Amino acid sequence: MAPALSAREKEPPGSGPKGPDDCRRLRRIIAEDPLWSLALVPSLSHLCLKSFVRDFEGLTVYEQLSNTEREFIQERLPPSLPLSVTANVIEDGVYWKRCCKQQWDLCDVSRYGDSWKRMFFERCLEGVIELFIPGVTEPKKILEMVPLCENYVKRLDISQLLTPIREPKKEEEEEDNVLGLENDDEYDGPQMNHFDFSILLEKLICLEELHVAYRVKQCGLNYEGRMFEMNYKDCVSLAKALKSCKTLKLLRLHQSNIDDMKVQILVKQLLGHPSLKELDFSHNVIGDVGAGAVAKLLTKSKLEVLNMCDNEITDPGAKAIAQALSKNSTLVSLNLRLNRLGDEGGRAIAEALMNNITLRHLHLGANEVTGPTAIALAKVIAQNNTLKSINLSCNNLGEDGGKALEEAMSHNTSVTECDIRLSEVDEQIVSSINQVVWTNQGLGQKG
Amino acid sequence: MDEASSSKTMNSSISEMSTQRMISMQRDLTAAVTNIQTAADARESTRRKELQEARQRRLELLEDNARSSQNKAEEIFEALSSMKEKVIPQELQEALNTQQNICTLVLEDKDKLINDLQKELKVSDDRFVKDLRRMAEELDLMKERMEDQIKTLTEAYREEMSGVERFCLQEIEVLVTKDKSEWENHMKELWDQELERLEQRKEKVGEYETKIHHLMLDNMDKESIIKIEQDANFQALDVENQKMKASTMLMNLQQIKQKNNVDVHNFNLSQMYERISSLQMEIKKLVTKFSNQAKYLRDTSHHLKKDYKRILEQHERVQKKIKHFAVADAGRFKEMWRMVEAEVTLLVEKALAIDSEICVKHLGLAWDQPVLPFRELPGSIRPKQQTNTDLHPQLAQTQQALQCSGGAEDTSDGASSEAETTAGDQEGSDAGLEEETLVAVSHLLCDATGLIQESLLMLLSPLEEDVQMAMKLGSSLYALGLADKDFPKLAHFLLKYRQEQSEDVSGELSASSDQEEALIINPNQVLIALKGFLQQHKGSRENSDQSQSSVLQTELRDSSADRVYWESLSNIITEDKVRLWEAAEESLQQHLVVLTEISELDIEKESLEQENTELRLLLQQSLSL
Repeated sequence: MAPALSAREKEPPGSGPKGPDDCRRLRRIIAEDPLWSLALVPSLSHLCLKSFVRDFEGLTVYEQLSNTEREFIQERLPPSLPLSVTANVIEDGVYWKRCCKQQWDLCDVSRYGDSWKRMFFERCLEGVIELFIPGVTEPKKILEMVPLCENYVKRLDISQLLTPIREPKKEEEEEDNVLGLENDDEYDGPQMNHFDFSILLEKLICLEELHVAYRVKQCGLNYEGRMFEMNYKDCVSLAKALKSCKTLKLLRLHQSNIDDMKVQILVKQLLGHPSLKELDFSHNVIGDVGAGAVAKLLTKSKLEVLNMCDNEITDPGAKAIAQALSKNSTLVSLNLRLNRLGDEGGRAIAEALMNNITLRHLHLGANEVTGPTAIALAKVIAQNNTLKSINLSCNNLGEDGGKALEEAMSHNTSVTECDIRLSEVDEQIVSSINQVVWTNQGLGQKG
Repeated sequence: MDEASSSKTMNSSISEMSTQRMISMQRDLTAAVTNIQTAADARESTRRKELQEARQRRLELLEDNARSSQNKAEEIFEALSSMKEKVIPQELQEALNTQQNICTLVLEDKDKLINDLQKELKVSDDRFVKDLRRMAEELDLMKERMEDQIKTLTEAYREEMSGVERFCLQEIEVLVTKDKSEWENHMKELWDQELERLEQRKEKVGEYETKIHHLMLDNMDKESIIKIEQDANFQALDVENQKMKASTMLMNLQQIKQKNNVDVHNFNLSQMYERISSLQMEIKKLVTKFSNQAKYLRDTSHHLKKDYKRILEQHERVQKKIKHFAVADAGRFKEMWRMVEAEVTLLVEKALAIDSEICVKHLGLAWDQPVLPFRELPGSIRPKQQTNTDLHPQLAQTQQALQCSGGAEDTSDGASSEAETTAGDQEGSDAGLEEETLVAVSHLLCDATGLIQESLLMLLSPLEEDVQMAMKLGSSLYALGLADKDFPKLAHFLLKYRQEQSEDVSGELSASSDQEEALIINPNQVLIALKGFLQQHKGSRENSDQSQSSVLQTELRDSSADRVYWESLSNIITEDKVRLWEAAEESLQQHLVVLTEISELDIEKESLEQENTELRLLLQQSLSL
């Protein structure tokens, strides 16, 4: 339309149409205009699509368009359109890429299964939850999002959960706080609840991964201990929510100050979960009782990956886990870094591995284990062919342990990673072990 | 081959070396990065151990402290309990002092502990800050190292790639040159071989050519011989073949003819069938048409019958009307007649009275009364049945006229007798109208009248006489406007006419003359006679028409008779009398003039007498006076 108009505008103003003859002349003039080109005239379908883009909300013919036409529209639709219009109409593609790029600078679509739409909705929902203030923000705001994004959200990575806003009289209560903790706990409990996941998780029918950290980012001088912990009610509601979410495969509850009791509550609900494969309780304060609960979970679920690093597990907990490990046949990876298993725990796990043929990755770094554990593990390495990586760094293994490991490794062909740095072992032994590992790596590559 | 294998092995060894180098590099670099983490882990674990130890130490310290303070507190309590027993103030003072000392000791102890703990706290705070800082540094270091790793690795990979490329290129060049030389050598050998082969082929081609030439010549000879033989054979076969062909052709032709005949017959038959069917169709059509037409005609005839009946009825009605009107008219006519006749008789009587007066008084003559015919026939309107009986009303009319104008003579009887005789004559003539007379009349007509055209005569001349006669008669009758049936009438008239003529001319003498001669009338008179006949015929026809139209009329009126009657009435005063009357009028006129004068004078005389009397009176008066 535009070229035609311009061509007309270029004509002398006196030569307006005055009848059929004049019309013909006018047309002739356009044809002789050297700037006139038919290629500049957009096709009617283009014009239609443009008007369609302008008035996308009112029209419902998007499904009937061809792929090229859809791309045309996706490249031109304004990202400011309400989600209720676009969410379930426009498929993954350029439009969502534009939406993402407009909202965030860093967009690594490979993390989201190369789906821009999924990325957009996951990050949107995460943003809404992370800024949710209990008691202030209405849960409706999140629930409104659910029907739009339920089909696209597979992972929720929530890096902070805000607490309710404290009222000015809190200071007085803090004084009370000093006087009686229990009273305060009872009084303060319901108020200090974080976002209740039970209203959301059961509705997200595609959710597979859930990463939650009960903490506040950039709290500054408003720091309070409660901000960085998951309280009892949160734990109960989360446990319920987890039970209702049948599609969940990965649960990561890190840096949330989870203690034994909370672990027990969570594990109780997670027992017999149909799809859970990965569990990550790293950077919490789980003790031996919690470890025992997790060990129970290990026996009654299909967990493949368990990460309990940076907790407070000592030898009783380790023994419980070891007992579960000896019976379990699904666990592939066990991470107990930064605990305090001690030699007893280490030995128990090593003995359990004698009967286990599924575990491939074992991390026992910084666990205060010494020579005896190393010797026990050396036996495992010599015998077991499934173990691929062992990490015993930051443990005082000593000469004997090193030697035992070296000897065991010389017979082994499956271990491709063996980390024994900072463990008081001879350089020679370390290098010889590394040699074996490298050759094993080469074998693995060739195989 | 050895070279290639060696190059391959070299290549593989190089690539292996490079990959190993890369792997080791990667390992070293990752180790450099992870070393930091593990170091941090180790530090963390040691820190925790230390923390735990410190906690334990602290706990022990606190326990010791608590125990010692407990002991001291017990001492104090004991001292207090013992103090109650003491009565002497100095002792009490002393005890109090010691108590106070002990308390201060305890307090000091506590203060010291608090200070220690605070110090420890501070130290640990510092340590925490330091740790944080170090961690941040370590993180930075890790980042740096990771970046370094990436950089160095990419560089290494690039170098390696360029090295491999270079090596490969060199190798390729070497191989290419080697292959080229080899290829050239091979080509050369091949060309030589080819040339040799070409020469050999050429030689062989020459040999074969000469051989082929010889063979060709031989074959040509053989072929020509065979050809001649074959020609002969062929000709013989050809002749036979042609014969066969002719015979087969004949057979075919016959077959075709038969087939054709059958086809033609079939075709004709089918055409006939078609025609029959079409004709049948037409017949059907016509039958339907006929039935329609018949129906239509029946309808129309029915309509026409109805119309006819209606018209008949109408006609009857009209006739009735006419009858009615005729009767009415006759009545009225009679009345009118009587009235007029009465008036006329009155006038006649008047005139006769005047005449008599004139005659008697004026002329002094004797007046004799004239005959008044109407007095004898007072209602001249009388039935005329007698005339109706006449076939020729003309005669009756003449007779009537004669009767009317007969004057005083009584001729009625004679006339009637005459009429009767004529009628009888006519009947007799009618009866006696023989064929001869008719023939004669026809001859007369044909010859004399010249009514027949010349052309017709010319046409008729070749025919027989009788036929000619008939034709002529027909044409002449046609020319006269007469029908065939009128012919006998004409003959009759002519006969009568001659009789009348002879009566007129020669009286009764010629009346008895021979009929034979008399039949032939003077040809000069024929035309006149014919004219008369025609007039009469016309009149008779009109009369006959009238009579036919008024068959039911009771009375037949004849205006001519009436006219005579009325004329007789009007001529009641004769010419002489009229002259006489004129003269009498003249004289009377003169007499009237004299009389008028006398009357005038009489009036004068009267006036004079009156004057005279008046004057006498005056005189008397005067005299009296």
